[in-house]
Amino acid sequence: MVEDILLGDEFLRQLMSVGEVDLLVAIPSYNNAGTIGQTVQAIEESYQQNFIRDRVVILNVDGGSTDHTPDVVSAMDGRKAVGYRGLTSLRTVHRVTTQYAKSPSQGMALRTILATADLLRARSCAIVSPTTTNLDASWIANLLRPAYRQNFEFVAPLYTRDRYHGLLARNLLYPMNRAVFGQRIREVFSEEWGFSGRLASECLSQNVWNDEAVRARPEAWMAVTAICSDFKCCQSFLGPKVPPASGSALDIVEVIRQTVGSLFRCLETHQEHWLNRSGSQPVPTFGPDHELTSDGKPANQEKVFGLFRTGVTELDPILGSILTPDTHARIKDIAALDQEKFRFSHELWVKTLYEFAASYHHAVINRDHVIQALVPLYRGSMYSFFLEHANSSPEEIEADSESLCLEFERQKSYLVDRWKAKG
Amino acid sequence: MALHDENLWYKDAVVYQLHVRTFCDSDGNGIGDFRGLTNKLDYLQELGINAVWLLPFYPSPLRDDGYDIADYTSVNPTYGSVEDFKTFLTAAHDRHIRVIIEMVMNHTSDQHPWFQEARSSRDNPKRDWYVWSETDTRYHGVRIIFLDTEMSNWAWDPISKSYYWHRFFNHQPDLNFDNPAVREAMWEVMKFWLDIGVDGFRLDAVPYLVERDGTSCENLPETHAVIRDLRKRLDVAYPGKMLLAEANQWPADVRAYFGDGDEFHMAFHFPLMPRMFMAVKLEDRKPIIEILGQTPQIPDNCQWCIFLRNHDELTLEMVTDVERDYMYDSFANDKAMRINLGIRRRLAPMMENDRRRIELLNGLLLSMPGTPIIYYGDEIGMGDNVYLGDRNGVRTPMQWNGGWNAGFSSADPERLYSPLISNPVYGYQAINVDSQRRSEHSLLSWTKSVIQTRNSFRVFSRGSIEFLNPTNHRVLAYVRQLGEEKVLVVNNLSSSAQAVELNLQSYKGHIPIEMFGRNLFPRIGDLPYLLTLGPYQFYWFRLRRI
Repeated sequence: MVEDILLGDEFLRQLMSVGEVDLLVAIPSYNNAGTIGQTVQAIEESYQQNFIRDRVVILNVDGGSTDHTPDVVSAMDGRKAVGYRGLTSLRTVHRVTTQYAKSPSQGMALRTILATADLLRARSCAIVSPTTTNLDASWIANLLRPAYRQNFEFVAPLYTRDRYHGLLARNLLYPMNRAVFGQRIREVFSEEWGFSGRLASECLSQNVWNDEAVRARPEAWMAVTAICSDFKCCQSFLGPKVPPASGSALDIVEVIRQTVGSLFRCLETHQEHWLNRSGSQPVPTFGPDHELTSDGKPANQEKVFGLFRTGVTELDPILGSILTPDTHARIKDIAALDQEKFRFSHELWVKTLYEFAASYHHAVINRDHVIQALVPLYRGSMYSFFLEHANSSPEEIEADSESLCLEFERQKSYLVDRWKAKG
Repeated sequence: MALHDENLWYKDAVVYQLHVRTFCDSDGNGIGDFRGLTNKLDYLQELGINAVWLLPFYPSPLRDDGYDIADYTSVNPTYGSVEDFKTFLTAAHDRHIRVIIEMVMNHTSDQHPWFQEARSSRDNPKRDWYVWSETDTRYHGVRIIFLDTEMSNWAWDPISKSYYWHRFFNHQPDLNFDNPAVREAMWEVMKFWLDIGVDGFRLDAVPYLVERDGTSCENLPETHAVIRDLRKRLDVAYPGKMLLAEANQWPADVRAYFGDGDEFHMAFHFPLMPRMFMAVKLEDRKPIIEILGQTPQIPDNCQWCIFLRNHDELTLEMVTDVERDYMYDSFANDKAMRINLGIRRRLAPMMENDRRRIELLNGLLLSMPGTPIIYYGDEIGMGDNVYLGDRNGVRTPMQWNGGWNAGFSSADPERLYSPLISNPVYGYQAINVDSQRRSEHSLLSWTKSVIQTRNSFRVFSRGSIEFLNPTNHRVLAYVRQLGEEKVLVVNNLSSSAQAVELNLQSYKGHIPIEMFGRNLFPRIGDLPYLLTLGPYQFYWFRLRRI
């Protein structure tokens, strides 16, 4: 049994005491002693406000914190989290903690969470991040309810993001994921999401946990697994996504390695599902009326463009082995443009990405090098976005995003052709 | 335990609550009476209870099941005579069973001669024995208790053309306890019954005795003064007699009725009762722990009275709105099961006739601090009839056997004061005393056994309680202690088997001895004490250091 290996005796003793639950909210952590308290409080408040009668548990899975993060969770006084109109949960709000490893691993954290959900027979689960400082009780409810009340199996979050935040998701991850797998789920790579106990058991049973892409970004793998296994998916609006404080964010190279690497890996593992599909379908969306884009401050544009140009020059041989000669030449052409006249067209951006995906598939060079070579080109697309949308309204930005998605869908046959062609 | 040798007898009592009308009919008129009850005292002795609480048996128009008294110093002729009562009382005392009777002080029936005089003219000397007003706006904002039937706490009297105050039904005018004559009259009534030999009074509706403008008219200092005066007189003239308060309030508010040990001897713990049901339904000890955590200490000579069911609806006044909704959804899906702010059902049907849950709840009742009250018929798992109106569905005739009228009466069935329970599950052919007497594994036999065990250890009635807090919240565990006598109680509130580890470090070296089978369990050592419990199972362990 997977869980026999995964879960320690002390943790199992805690689970024995908890017993079967209806709802489970998990917080993967690593040195989050400063913020995890408010996360736990938001979850408790949500339980008190929205799930008064239900059997609930808060699970902290820790990756070896040295700042006593689990102790903060254990020591919190649940009675402070008195809910709406002073109501309190009829049942005990259980809180359990476990250290799954001595160093953090998102894959191990998720596997521990899934094993716990499976053992406790949780009907609806959510995972939230202790670094999301504006998380509140409504977020938890919005993540849990679709699986608990409406029989959905996977609940992706929806956020309002400022126009310059989440560009990787806007320009690459969402449109490509949508075009390939056929469902319009906007945030596949996220720190918060919900899922059913059934999906948890299904994912736990799969022998993928040593796969590097799964270990790095398991949420995307779980989302794609749900989509490709015909689990009912939906989106739930949570609120504004606040960018992480400067200094705590991962380097863009690492982010792309994890996210795009994971996406390309999912293309590999689920090719039976997507190769013969076209177009995309909307998924049900829950939550209040919302806007997805708000205003914000741009990043350092000069530096972004400079890194694009340098990358195209320095990685010329590698790009030559990944891209078709035509695409490679067109990229070199736009890199030579004046900064003000620079544009990375949707058509070229999509073709570039699909060629990268196919080259990753055919492993024309080391796959990690394929992913890393994408970084400067992504910076080019970012810079193009900055120039095009410096004065755009949120509606115009959304319309442009939709046209990019449609371009991904329009060119999908090109990806299929490249994918099927011998490397 | 011999009578009269122990003024704190009420602390050690196991009380059996019954209505004379419901128990046994000796003269074949379809209504229970004192002679019938006297004939059944051997049964009560056999059951192991040592006190009986009788519902009102006074002459009454019976528009509120006798709580509308028309004569305080007589017996309703339907139930017998004062002489019959005396005979019953003597027979009960002979069996070491004490008798607690009802005293409805707050109000009378509108048929009581006092009220008839009071309403006859505004100059009548009895006029000031009740609370009158020219308008129905005085004491504005005071809550209405019987929401289903009453629109106001004032009722118009067409005879004297003014309004009279009533906290309950409009045919139950409140007495005016600001009037010294009323207080004297009520003391005279109590003396009448004390002189006959009753052992205590359950005082009905005590929070409402006195009214004051600008207040809730509940729990007022003036009300406490009335009680203190009565208690003082009682202690001087009748030591060893007991006063029990019916005050359906939060524990902190009820606490005041114990005073400094100079008001009531006992008071009902109303909020605990629904939470015992809730805890079992939720499979979580939280409701019980929370309410007992909010329960203040009481003077040494005082005691809480605890119960599962009684003659009224299972009151849900002392729960939050959310808890009330949960209770309704869990135990009263059918609207006919609801009345006022409560549920008119008996124990066994509420537990869906699940013997394990019935036993668990009785186990909680008999092992938690307080004097337990068992409602007649619950010891055999009697059912109810929620379609009989008011709370009559839980006041049906006692089921003695499977024969004519369940052995309750020789009258024609049509003449019975109430239809018998006759459905296939709870009907008298299936559920009755005689058939359960024949089986040592019946609910009745089990109830006798558990009462006997409780009665054998004074720690249950007088001991302290220390809650253990195992991480398994489906398990409620506590240690009762009185001197060297220690009992460990472990209850599995859930419908599935549970393992629990108890921190019994303070009792290291003790041997737990299971109290029903007297089996030895492993000695308590350094490690957490591991127990496994089946669904709804509970253990009582005597802890002995040998």
